[in-house]
Amino acid sequence: MQSNHIIVANHVSKVFTDPVDFRVLDDISLTVDKGEFVVLVGPSGSGKTTLMYALSTLDTEYEGTITVDGTDIASLSPNQLAQFRNSTIGFVFQFHYLLPDFTVLDNVSLPAIKAGVWSADEIEERAMKNLQLLGVADQARKRSSRLSGGQQQRVAIARALMNNPKILFGDEPTGNLDSKNTSMVLDILRDLKAEFNQTILMVTHDLQFAERADRVIAIRDGRIVNHE
Amino acid sequence: MSSPLRSNALVKIAWVHLVSKKRQTIVAMLGVMFGVTVFIFQAGLLTGLQNYFIEKTVNTTAHIHIYNELRAERPHVLDNVRAYDSTWKVVRNQKPRDEERRLRNGYQILRVLEQDPRVEGVAPYLGLQGIVRFGTAQQAATLAGVDILREDQLFRVRENLIDGDMLRMQTIPNGIILGSGLADKLGVQVDDNLAIISSKGVVLDMKIVAISKTGITAQDNTRAYITIRNAQRLLQQSGTYITDINIRLRDVNAAQTIAAEYQSRYQYRAEDWVAANANIFGVFRIQNITITFVIISILVVSGFGIFNILMTIIYEKMPDIAILKAMGYRNRDISTIFVIESLVIGVTGGLLGLLLGFIASVIMSSIPLNIQGFVSVQFLTINFNPVFYLVAFGFALLSTAIAGYFPARKASRFDPVEIIRSR
Repeated sequence: MQSNHIIVANHVSKVFTDPVDFRVLDDISLTVDKGEFVVLVGPSGSGKTTLMYALSTLDTEYEGTITVDGTDIASLSPNQLAQFRNSTIGFVFQFHYLLPDFTVLDNVSLPAIKAGVWSADEIEERAMKNLQLLGVADQARKRSSRLSGGQQQRVAIARALMNNPKILFGDEPTGNLDSKNTSMVLDILRDLKAEFNQTILMVTHDLQFAERADRVIAIRDGRIVNHE
Repeated sequence: MSSPLRSNALVKIAWVHLVSKKRQTIVAMLGVMFGVTVFIFQAGLLTGLQNYFIEKTVNTTAHIHIYNELRAERPHVLDNVRAYDSTWKVVRNQKPRDEERRLRNGYQILRVLEQDPRVEGVAPYLGLQGIVRFGTAQQAATLAGVDILREDQLFRVRENLIDGDMLRMQTIPNGIILGSGLADKLGVQVDDNLAIISSKGVVLDMKIVAISKTGITAQDNTRAYITIRNAQRLLQQSGTYITDINIRLRDVNAAQTIAAEYQSRYQYRAEDWVAANANIFGVFRIQNITITFVIISILVVSGFGIFNILMTIIYEKMPDIAILKAMGYRNRDISTIFVIESLVIGVTGGLLGLLLGFIASVIMSSIPLNIQGFVSVQFLTINFNPVFYLVAFGFALLSTAIAGYFPARKASRFDPVEIIRSR
């Protein structure tokens, strides 16, 4: 069954020492299966976001072991880690983080350009396909700063999917959207999971998310308090 | 195929950053440009002037100058009597011995030197201080008793004449060639008659045959050429009396070794032109050091300009850095972006500076200035040595690279999680 676990966290703990010692993650163990849509919930300060950054390889300062797609994250050098993120992981944040003076197409192409496995034409083709999937293909040639908030977040999702990531991580991806755009983004994530069997792990305190997810993991004071 | 795409993307990001801060970028470029311009202009001007002066000096001072070095000091007569007890010294006002400045066998030495294959020309010289009087106008002058043809061979006397004819020194017995400054002060012209008076009280009536202008102000203001015979008469000396021998060599750079050789052979002081002008070369060295500091400080300031704009960009573009890192761009990629930015500023500013420095130099060298100072020149002689252009550009790149390195390193070390979570 091990092969079906895409994320395995074993006894993960993390302590903030500044300003006072504070155990933000306290001996957390969990697994996420391929194709699962998992949501982390919890009050602010519970450690859910910290956990997400640890699981997504951005934060490597913790005790315990985290294995993503069969690779122990702690064993990778910073450069290997960057390479690993590029090929395996996609991010959607609360803010879109698009480069404001670049076109939508350029923004979406950036991860593929870094990967360096496709030609310029192939990259454009993939980018357009992803933008189509997210319903923003008609905006491709515009500067990203001229799009609406909802459109920008969809472009950000298109960018996150560019290198066919094994896992899509989200940090409150709808936290900055109105209800109409929120449900649109939710539908998109749902479709990704249904059509492409995309593994998704999101941090949110939006209950709508929780309803549509396969599994909700509730965190409080650095511990998992439920396993539904 | 992949690598050019990626570096294109990094270049494009860098470019967009710079364009988004157009005004600051231009100011930083202007800083570099200004530094390079000043570098080229100053270095060209200064070394041009120095080279001009050295050239003038080499043409107007002998490569080797042989003379009798007088010792003013001599031991007290009583020191020899009671060397063990200095308290006995009571005789005051001991006069210096009446030593002769003359070179014994001066003309024989001259003829031997002429046979030396390394020597291009030899000229005898008898110098004295005197007063030149024209009506009521009087001026102190250095009277140079010379053999005018030999003198011309050494110092290109004829080239520096602005009026008159040098050869009349040969044809009339009392010809004199005045420096232009001296002639101006006295208010005389060619063919005017004037009187010269020596410290021995001898007065000679002279006729001006020519006026000379070397460009070295000190010489033009004080020097007058007369014949050696007249100089000897002013000093009440015989026809073999000379005090100096000036030598022009075929190879200027051999002056030092040949001078040493002559000094030991003839037992007279033989001074080469570098030693004779040591004080001037000292001044040049101080000038060069000063100007180097000025230029370096300008480039350092322009470096701070680049540092400043890069830090501004970095803090403003933190989100860009964070997302690039999250999507797998390496630290090296991030620092490359900012190194590119500093290089764009440095190279553009540097090239503009080279161009502007060149234009400023060309303009400056074509404006007639008629400067009367240390040397008098009509046009500034500016040195267009390409080495200056290379060094200036190199310095600009160096200061840019240093100024860009620290911000680039800082940017590459940002923790993306911290940036994202702080929003």
